This record gives sequence, C-alpha cells and structure tokens, in this order.
Amino acid sequence: MDDFRVDPAAHTPPSVQIVEHLLDALSTGRFAAGDKLPSVRSLAVDVLVNPNTVAKAYAELERQGVVAGRNGSGVYVTAEGPDHARSLRRASTLQDFVRTTAAALRAGHDAEALRLALVESSNQASRSTDTHCETPQGANHR
Amino acid sequence: MTDRTVLHAVDLGRRFGKHVALRGVDLELAPGRVTALLGANGAGKSTLLRLAVGLLQPQTGSLRVLGLDSCRDAETLRQRIGYVPDRPDAPGALTVDELCRFAAAHYRRWDATRVDELIDRLEVPRRQRFRTLSKGQAMGAMLVLALGHDPELLLLDEPFGGLDPLVREEVLRCVLDAWRGDERTILCATHELELAARIADDVAILAEGALCAHASVEDLLGTDAPGDLPRGLHAALVRATRTSPSHAETPHLETVPC
Repeated sequence: MDDFRVDPAAHTPPSVQIVEHLLDALSTGRFAAGDKLPSVRSLAVDVLVNPNTVAKAYAELERQGVVAGRNGSGVYVTAEGPDHARSLRRASTLQDFVRTTAAALRAGHDAEALRLALVESSNQASRSTDTHCETPQGANHR
Repeated sequence: MTDRTVLHAVDLGRRFGKHVALRGVDLELAPGRVTALLGANGAGKSTLLRLAVGLLQPQTGSLRVLGLDSCRDAETLRQRIGYVPDRPDAPGALTVDELCRFAAAHYRRWDATRVDELIDRLEVPRRQRFRTLSKGQAMGAMLVLALGHDPELLLLDEPFGGLDPLVREEVLRCVLDAWRGDERTILCATHELELAARIADDVAILAEGALCAHASVEDLLGTDAPGDLPRGLHAALVRATRTSPSHAETPHLETVPC
C-alpha cells in the first residue's frame, strides 16, 4: 500500500494504528467508496503484523460503518465511508491539535506566535494543493 | 481440551542425563493461533518443539498433537507438521531443487506451485548446494521445506536468529504470510521480542523447563497499558523468570528494549 508499518513499541496498540492509518487513507482519497481493501493476510504482510490484528482493525472499521464485508469476497469501503472517515479524522486530529497547543502554551509560546505558525502551515498546505491542481489545467490551456 | 485442540501437553517432562529440560508442562494450543514461545537460553523451548514434532520422546506426562500421539503417530504427524529446527539440518550436498524433489516424493500434499512462489520470494538459489548457502538463504530453504506440504501446525525454532535485518524482514513476511486462519497453527520460539510482538496472538513463557505463563498478548500485558509491546513482553519474561523453580537471573535476551 505504502511505507506504513505497525510500530509495536508505540503507545497506540497495533490494531488502532491500522485503523488510524486506514481512516487517513480513506479521508485523503487513497480509497474511495466501493473500493476493496487489501485482504487481511496481504495487509498483514505489508504492515508486518499478525493477520488477526488486521482482522481486528477491519472489524473496528466495520463497527464504525466505514467499511463492510461482503460475504466471502472481501471488505469494501461503504458509500458514506470516505465522508465518515474524514469526520472521524477531523475529530481526532482536532483533539491532538488542542492537546499540542496546550503543551506549547505551557512551554512558553504566546498565542500570537502559535497563530502565525498555524497561518503559515495553512498557507503552505493551500500552496501545495494549488500546485497539484494547476499543473494539469495549465497543460490543457496550452 | 476440545477435539480441535492442536497441541495438548499434560505434565510433560523430559530430562537429558541429570539436566531437567522440561518439567510438568501443561499446554494447550487452539487452532489458528500464532504463539510466540519465549524464554532464556536453555529454558526448554527447543526441547518442547522437538517433542512436538516427535524427534524426542516424553519421559513424563503425555503429548497429543492434532489429536494423535506425538511419538506413536510420528510418521502420520510428519505429513501434517512443518518444522524449522534452530540449526538448518538439510543434507548439505544436495541442491535446493534436489531437496524439494526429495520432499515432494515424501509428502502427499506437496504443493510445487506454492514452493516455487516461496523460493522466489525468499530468493533462495535453487541450484546451489545446501551447505554453500548463506545463513539467510539456508533459513529460507528450511522455511520452504517446512511449508511445502501445507502443514496444519508450523513449529519454528528461532527462525530470525543471526539473520541480517533485510533477510529477517523477509522471513518475518514469510511467517505472516503462512497464516491460514483456523487452518494453521503456528508456534514460534524466539528471543526477539520486537518480532514476537508483531507475530503473536498468544505468548507462552518457559523458564527452567517450566511453563510460567500462557495467555493472549492482551491478557498477559493488561489492556490498561497497551503501549510498547516489546517492553511489556520483556517485563513479563523477567517476572516469569523470577517465579521460576530456582529464581534464575534475568534472562539473556538479544533484544532488550530500553
């Protein structure tokens, strides 16, 4: 899939790492509604973890309504899966952001400096999106 | 024990001369589970695997494998068990291709297509004599020979020992790829806790020949502290060793998480 691997020494349990990774892949469009997820065994071999752990992650995604198993043929992204993944990712990353901001304030940053850092990353993000979008359009115009 | 229990040891014991290698081991493996067998050097891991594959006879207790007697039915069981010993023991003068042809003639369920896939994946040179293979290639060849007949029980004795990081990762991938749900049970002795944390559903810990713990990783480490599995396994090993028959020292480990 990509270079993602489970880190058994991380604080987050392996199955949760896989859930977060797949929610991220869904919310950024690497998997679209109706797409089939890799088989449990092949994802396990890719991310270097026990297949039962991958199966546990798939069951959790299914519980969240992001994917659904079709009898025997595999696990597929549901119609509402990508939107749902985006809102789940938004909620959890906002929590992370608030936590990190609190830590930065405690460390002595003032709110204005953090605001500027946020504006700067936001500009960077939109610049990189623009370049992605402009290139093909520019090519068409010429 | 259910009739599907893959391995069932009751009061299993074995000594070599005065040395007690295994004592009073009660162990049940359920189908489809991947169990990491942990323990210090000399804790009895290899002895347990060799008993399971019928290379050794129990001196006390009983051992049933796939519902059969590990010794009396050893011939039948050989068709259904894959075993990788701690030291590669294939005849050195034969090439990998010759070893596979030899194995194909002995195993009713030998799957030549699957074997070819595995050989390619593990980059085992087919036409080289076994004794000239590198350590990683020899381990690859042993894995191919252990998996070629589609075994229901796979016994691995330190499959990652002494391999360079890249080969180790290929062997790890091969072990993960060997998973077949309930159709195959895997018991893997290893010192490497990071790899144990990756492959294992369950962990069994031996200390001085006694089974000190056998539980799922979650149950062993507790769900309230799920982070850092290798470190948790290390702590469990140290605990197990302290409660072992004669309070052995901290086990010697190749990977001690800091």
